[in-house]
Amino acid sequence: MQLQSFFQQIVNALQLGSFYALIALGYSMVYGVLMLFNFAHGDVFMVGSYIGFFVSAGLLALAKTGILPLADNVMLGLVLVLTLFITMLLTSFVGMLIERIGYRPLRNAPRASAAITGLMIGIILETGNLAILGPTRLSFPALIESVSYDIGGVLVTNKKMVIVFVSIFLTLALHQFVRRTKWGMAMRAMAFDFVVVPLMGISINKIALLTFALGSALAAAAGILFGVAYPVLDPYMGILFGWKAFVAAILGGRGSILGASLAGFMLGFIEIFVAAIFPSTMRDLIAFSIILIILTFRPHGFFGEPYSAQLRL
Amino acid sequence: MLKKVIAIAFFMAIIVGACAPAGPDTIKIGVNAPITGDIPKVGEGTKFAAEMWLEAIGGELEIGGKTYAIELVIEDNEAKGESAAAVNQKLTTQDEVLVIVGPQSSKQAVPAGGVANDNKTPMVSPWSTNPATTLDRPWVFRTPFLDPFQGPVIANFVTEEYGFTKAAVLYDVASDYPKGLADNFLSGWEDIHGADSVVAFESFTTADTDFSAQITKIKNTGAEFIFSPQYYNEVALIVQQAHELGFNAPIVGSDSWGSAELVNLCGEDCYGLFFSTHYAADGATGATKDFIDAYNAKHGYIPDDVGALTWDTFLIIQKAMEDCGEITGDLAVDRACVRDALAQIKNFAGITGEMTFTEQGDPIKCAVIVQISDEGTFKFYDQACP
Amino acid sequence: MELNVKYAEENRSRFRNLLHKLWEPYKQVPLLGWLLAALVAVLLEMLVGQPLARLLGMSKIPALFGVILVLKTPILIPSTLLYLLLIYGLPIAITARLTAKLTDFIAAKLYNTSTGLSILLHVALLYAVLHLWTSISDYRLLVVKLTLISIIITLSLNVINGYMGEFSCSHPGFIALGAYTASIFTIVLFVSENQFGEAVLPPALGPYLFPIGLVLGGIAAAIGALLVAIPSFRTRGDYLAIISLAFMFIVVSLFNNLEIVGGARGLSNQPDYANLATIFVWTILSIWIINNFVRSTIGKALNAVRDGELAASAMTVDTRKTKMVAFLFSAFWAGVAGGLFAHVIRYINPGTFGIRKLAEVLAMVYLGGLNSVAGSVVGAVGFNLLSEALRPLEILKWIIIPVMLILVMIYRPTGLIAFTELDPIALIKPKSMTEGEADNATS
Repeated sequence: MQLQSFFQQIVNALQLGSFYALIALGYSMVYGVLMLFNFAHGDVFMVGSYIGFFVSAGLLALAKTGILPLADNVMLGLVLVLTLFITMLLTSFVGMLIERIGYRPLRNAPRASAAITGLMIGIILETGNLAILGPTRLSFPALIESVSYDIGGVLVTNKKMVIVFVSIFLTLALHQFVRRTKWGMAMRAMAFDFVVVPLMGISINKIALLTFALGSALAAAAGILFGVAYPVLDPYMGILFGWKAFVAAILGGRGSILGASLAGFMLGFIEIFVAAIFPSTMRDLIAFSIILIILTFRPHGFFGEPYSAQLRL
Repeated sequence: MLKKVIAIAFFMAIIVGACAPAGPDTIKIGVNAPITGDIPKVGEGTKFAAEMWLEAIGGELEIGGKTYAIELVIEDNEAKGESAAAVNQKLTTQDEVLVIVGPQSSKQAVPAGGVANDNKTPMVSPWSTNPATTLDRPWVFRTPFLDPFQGPVIANFVTEEYGFTKAAVLYDVASDYPKGLADNFLSGWEDIHGADSVVAFESFTTADTDFSAQITKIKNTGAEFIFSPQYYNEVALIVQQAHELGFNAPIVGSDSWGSAELVNLCGEDCYGLFFSTHYAADGATGATKDFIDAYNAKHGYIPDDVGALTWDTFLIIQKAMEDCGEITGDLAVDRACVRDALAQIKNFAGITGEMTFTEQGDPIKCAVIVQISDEGTFKFYDQACP
Repeated sequence: MELNVKYAEENRSRFRNLLHKLWEPYKQVPLLGWLLAALVAVLLEMLVGQPLARLLGMSKIPALFGVILVLKTPILIPSTLLYLLLIYGLPIAITARLTAKLTDFIAAKLYNTSTGLSILLHVALLYAVLHLWTSISDYRLLVVKLTLISIIITLSLNVINGYMGEFSCSHPGFIALGAYTASIFTIVLFVSENQFGEAVLPPALGPYLFPIGLVLGGIAAAIGALLVAIPSFRTRGDYLAIISLAFMFIVVSLFNNLEIVGGARGLSNQPDYANLATIFVWTILSIWIINNFVRSTIGKALNAVRDGELAASAMTVDTRKTKMVAFLFSAFWAGVAGGLFAHVIRYINPGTFGIRKLAEVLAMVYLGGLNSVAGSVVGAVGFNLLSEALRPLEILKWIIIPVMLILVMIYRPTGLIAFTELDPIALIKPKSMTEGEADNATS
């Protein structure tokens, strides 16, 4: 491989990895704190993307009418930021709703049952979307006017830079939130032991809601960035991303936010470089074999603790 | 108490029974469509075209001087093979349909075709391009042309139009249609330009959205164009990403590009590109234009190739039923009659071209090359006939 | 207001009493009696089903208890109910009650002579019922075939996910391995003009050698399972879940890349060997063997591993061997089911064995109930019939089924029938015998 295309592939991998990382964070939060496989998470990402579509379309329509009298490029940026905030807020409510309806009644049930509930909630979200919006795919509005920079033969678009930047920023912000704030401390405590900690006056229901809200907000951010990078939305777009991010979240290790993020980027790198080096028809075969081998030799992921993975049946 | 319930139920049942429509004057036509599952848009196109046909004939058909009410039995196969087989089994034995339209994609059409053939029920798939669908199945037909025809057509077109010699292919390895067409294009291209003239044969997996690794790779091989037999939603992403990665050479496609959605999703990036398909919507005349206008007026968009092919399929089975001359009411006889009539069809002028069925139940028909104009319409450019 | 409540309560208890009274005589009906009654109902349907359906305004015998019919044309609800009552409800009720004494006597005789023979007779009766029931409509036949195959799949997954307490996502991969291996076996050997060349053996031998193909399929799946089983020595739970998920992706990708079996275009031309009898025998075999497996020492060892690996190991359970055996055993049956599936649909492609299949099998296992053979049967049958019967609802179907599953999970978190043992001897026991008598008879 030429050096130039090697760097190009690194740029490609950073973009793909950003999505896996952002979605994996949401998985990892729920998994770390509540020990749940939230299989609906991929579909929350889808819902976030759709909400982002409607919010941004609405904002753009507003802007067109002249309520926001700004220059075009400033306005687009403003719309993007506003869309991110509003969508993250709205989607976090979706996440909390899912927790309230689907997971809270199963708090003391086997974890696998909750996983099935998540799977079913995911199907409901997909089918509901299909039933309400119909099968026509939506085209996400271009919130970033694409500009390409040629850095020594490596093409980098401003979109890619925004995506990678936002993804890393959100990871670090979340990390700080969990490390530094009281709420974050409560979450970590809950992750440590959720039998005893509720006895200390911390409400498991509140923490669960917060966890789901944060995770869903991150999924929404991923959804909007996804719309910016791959502007074709359909009801089933979350499934594959969801499962791959699930792999990344577990690979990162339980309760490790940086671990999940790193594992997400790693997954992006594996996928891109396997396709770049080997025949791309074999991509899944080789990429997942690598994951299998990694787990055979590092059976507890990268940052996980060995005995955290006991099933509570 | 129990007696009362039974008495009431019995009474009501008799009333209902008395109201039930008389059977033999109704002809049932089964539609096996993927309304839920991975490809709901295909299911929608099928359903819309079927309903439009029913409306166009006014819900009844005159066969051999007698008027029959037509009833469509539309069933969802969830885009799953086993489900499609179950649907066909239900349509043939439970609903007792005369003929089945669908399933659309080969994944469903191959197993469903086996069921139709075993039950001696004629079935016409409007969209399936896998040879196995009709192979050795006298009761199964299809309306699209096959990949072994389409692949070389595109190879020839690119050679003549651009004079290129180095091709790249980007396709979905896990999806049967792109995979089949990619293979056929490969052999077609190598027949013209010799071995190793396809410099990159890259693939991805269904539901992928990032093709940057493959495109970067293709760019480095010095390919002069990309052939991508993908569905329009993926095409939009492929073309945009290729442009972002500085690959500005042409990208050529196949009939799966033929959807009005392509231009909505892809925008200006797709203008000027060519693909082979069944009909050109822009500049269409006669029956084709009538269909497009009616569909557009009703559903608000130009029909996809699925819609057009399904429409043609209905016209063909209509002709077969009319050619049959008489519907006896004996299902086995009528089905055989329709099958024979289908096999006899010659030079049928459909909106996707003129077709004649081969012995295998595959049509012999022309392909058109369409260019996406700067207004985002599909303009007729060239034609290739077998 | 209060009075009303009281009245309603009284009414309810009266209703309950009535039900209780109605049910009382049926407590004496042994399984044999129920099977006989079902046979009578099915025979009745064969004889008078069609004219009765016509009389009631239906064009055909309602295939799946009329659910599909009712959803499409709600006006037929009363006649469908009446049909069900006349063909199934009343005949079964009457026969079961009238023959209760006789069947119980026969059951007792059989039980005392040989329990094996008795079980065989029950199974034969069950087959007769299914055979006659499905002979009425080919649609029914296909649904029953797919349901029986689902039972094998669900049971085999329950060994890992229920008894061993792992969350394995690799089952679609095992099914795919079995399906492809069995298909290649039959196509190469018995199908002329196929993609692999001429038939090697005379096709007449095919149906007799078909079981070998199925077993080979099972073995292929079991070999594939090594890839999941070996990492499972060192890790479990969540990490094993993604190992198994990776395995599933690997298998699908492998078959996509194998041109010889058609890649994504799939493999067709499987001979039509999987008739109802074959599938039925394999299903019964799988239920019997898996049931014995989980009730044996190794089954108990599985539970021990689930509840605490360290503790199990301390109690002299060889955890490695246990895990290995469980994975291979479970994968074997999934492979057999895959082989049967391929020969029912007679076309397979890698896409069939993806994430959607996974969601389906997981739903069936957890719906039916963990750690329970009876639960798996109920889960598979319930899910299959439901998803077939609700087909007319189209999009709504995939909202209703998940909602129902969520409700089951909320109200019965471990599934409908969980953590029970299935004892075939107890099932066939005549009702008149007391515990002591039964014990004497078997000893």
